[in-house]
Amino acid sequence: MIRLSWLQFRTQAVTAAAALAAFAVLLAVTGPHLASRYAASGLSSCHGGNCGTAVHTFLSQLAVTSPYPIVYLLGIALVLIAPAIIGIFWGAPLIARELETRTFALAWNQSITRTRWLAVKLTLTGLAAMAVTEALSLMYGWWVDPIGKAINLGTTGDLANPFAGGRFSSLIFATGGITPLGYAAFAFTLGTAAGALIRRTVPAMALTLVIFAAVQVAMPLWVRPHLIPPDRTIAMIGPVPGDDQAVGLDYGNLTAISVPGQPGAWIISSGAISAAGQQISALPFACAGYGAKAQDPGQCLTSQGYREAISYEPASRYWPLQWIETGIFLGLALGLAGSCFWRLNRRRS
Amino acid sequence: MIEFQLDETSGVATYLQLVQQVHQALRMGMLEPGEQLPTAQQVVAKLVINPNTVHKAYRELEREGLARARPGLGTFITRAPAGTDPATQARFLAAMTDWLRSARSAGLGPDDVEAIYRTAFRTCFAEGAA
Amino acid sequence: MSTVIETSGLGKAYRRTWALRDCTLAIPEGHVVGLVGPNGAGKTTLLRLATGQLTPTRGTISVLGARPAASPAQLARVGFVEQDTPVYARLRVADHLRLGAWLNPGWDGELAQRRIGQLGLDPRQRAGSLSGGQRAQLALTLALAKRPELLLLDEPVASLDPLARRDFLRGLMEAVAEHATSVVLSSHLIADLERVCDYLIVLVASQVRIAGEVSALLAVHRRLSGPRRDPGTLPAGQDVIEESHTDKQSTLLVRTGLVRTGGPVHDPAWTVTPVSLEELVLAYLNPANDIPARRPRLGVAS
Repeated sequence: MIRLSWLQFRTQAVTAAAALAAFAVLLAVTGPHLASRYAASGLSSCHGGNCGTAVHTFLSQLAVTSPYPIVYLLGIALVLIAPAIIGIFWGAPLIARELETRTFALAWNQSITRTRWLAVKLTLTGLAAMAVTEALSLMYGWWVDPIGKAINLGTTGDLANPFAGGRFSSLIFATGGITPLGYAAFAFTLGTAAGALIRRTVPAMALTLVIFAAVQVAMPLWVRPHLIPPDRTIAMIGPVPGDDQAVGLDYGNLTAISVPGQPGAWIISSGAISAAGQQISALPFACAGYGAKAQDPGQCLTSQGYREAISYEPASRYWPLQWIETGIFLGLALGLAGSCFWRLNRRRS
Repeated sequence: MIEFQLDETSGVATYLQLVQQVHQALRMGMLEPGEQLPTAQQVVAKLVINPNTVHKAYRELEREGLARARPGLGTFITRAPAGTDPATQARFLAAMTDWLRSARSAGLGPDDVEAIYRTAFRTCFAEGAA
Repeated sequence: MSTVIETSGLGKAYRRTWALRDCTLAIPEGHVVGLVGPNGAGKTTLLRLATGQLTPTRGTISVLGARPAASPAQLARVGFVEQDTPVYARLRVADHLRLGAWLNPGWDGELAQRRIGQLGLDPRQRAGSLSGGQRAQLALTLALAKRPELLLLDEPVASLDPLARRDFLRGLMEAVAEHATSVVLSSHLIADLERVCDYLIVLVASQVRIAGEVSALLAVHRRLSGPRRDPGTLPAGQDVIEESHTDKQSTLLVRTGLVRTGGPVHDPAWTVTPVSLEELVLAYLNPANDIPARRPRLGVAS
């Protein structure tokens, strides 16, 4: 059965290997240059809170140097989309195509039970799916490491920069660590379950795409922030000379740029609150000065008694969050796989 | 070795057709005692019929005492049917062939010959078909 | 003689329609069984119940003395060729043989290679580019090389041209001659069945109308023709299966009836002639004919 699964999987495996190889070549060609730029920027020797300028210089220069922004975004896109592609092209046809073309009558009338047939196919293809996605993630992780380190050392303060997101950001969190394994397993088993339910390949592909895309959007928006109850703090609005607990704000919407004393933290929500605890979302009129008389908005807010309330996850929660999210998707994958076995053995028609 | 034919339109059961063809071959001297009959596989490969039909035919021949199955070797003719004499058969075959030739040169067609034959046959052999 | 398939009150329903019901059969081993019926009569359902692809709604079925598809060992004893003989289009002929070898402990590789060679199939050719007849032969090879005791075929030749059909049946009969496999072959082509089947099951509207050995069935059915008469005046022990009457202006009125006899018909007013298998099957297939409820069990022992 293992050999038969490989026979049927051959073409898809070759395609995946080719795609991986092409991507690897791209990364191998551009990666060393990126690493040397990082070394030249001197960021490896700086630490603590005084890296801000160096980080800003490094990243903003990188942002306008082709091909780094393209490869950066391409890599993210690939790692995010790979599970969907696998779910659609490896998962959906696994059961559905055999039902559609009735070749299952060929396979299931050899001296092998449906359970064994499905178990071997699911395991082999599922492991391959996880391996491919994780390989993509690891390769990309190697390439993007300099950028990741730079971001962790400080912030760009410049949201137009494509590298603005840290490893916690909505797009990037699912591309690193072990979550690709969970997403791959989930997308793949989602495809097979859809195929077992609908029994037609193309509709199953469509359903898989729709559901997986919805989950990929819903997870960072609504679920991930609640996986571990966030920490909260209230900080002075800076910059305040001599006070490195003060937090810089984006004065457009009054959200915090960083969490004082928590480099690399994930800011879930933040806002300016008055001394009475009331939240405001825009600069009060008194502080929105223009022209020569413009005040530093931070000093103005502080003088009016405003502070910044921040809800965040510290950097140390990165791996716990990774494990929880991966665990959720692996659990869903197991459930979906189980539903396939149940459906196959129901023997209705 | 005898090669069987199948007449699907005759209405005669297949196994009987095989039996009759063996009888006929024996009478005409085309099959002799000691000769092997085709195996079920060989018959089936040519005629595409159920092997059980062949077995049934051969069992009937065994019942009539004309053939015997030797396990592992095949089915063999044991004796010719009583009353057959290849020499007599050959004599009448020659006579009939001459008659048919002269009938044809007299202008009779196959249907005429058939009709004459059947009428004469019915007169001679009071019971029904052979 | 032991049975290959035994059913008792077998029924299968989908939502509210019964695809098969009240099916009670005892199919003996060593036969080529013809399963005849119009489309939708329940032939495919019966075969799928026998392979274990479906489970009964009512009644029981046992195949070779065990529940269908109960275990890999049971699966190894029963071969199945699905309607229109599906194959893996992108795999080669040789791959299919390997598939059989990997998945079947009792695989006869030599038989498979020999058949493929005799059929002239190119092992390197992808199965999707084979003709319909070649695909059917490949599927049959896979089923035969498994060396099953029972082979079930669901209308495998329905969409083949006559030559391909004949070749397929030839291969099947050669295998039966060589290995004494029991075969159940469903079809709606009666001419093919006449050549190869020695046991008959007629299914109409999800019910079995008749089942038995062909020789026994032919022995107890006769065609009677005579002056127009009420069938009720026939001697007892005879069931009228089909009757038709004509009313002619001349003095000759013909009445024909297909009668199942419990014994010989002695009434001299009737001309008695034997019935061919095709006529028999057509009579039982005709839904207008009311088959009497009292059905003697035919062909159970031979």
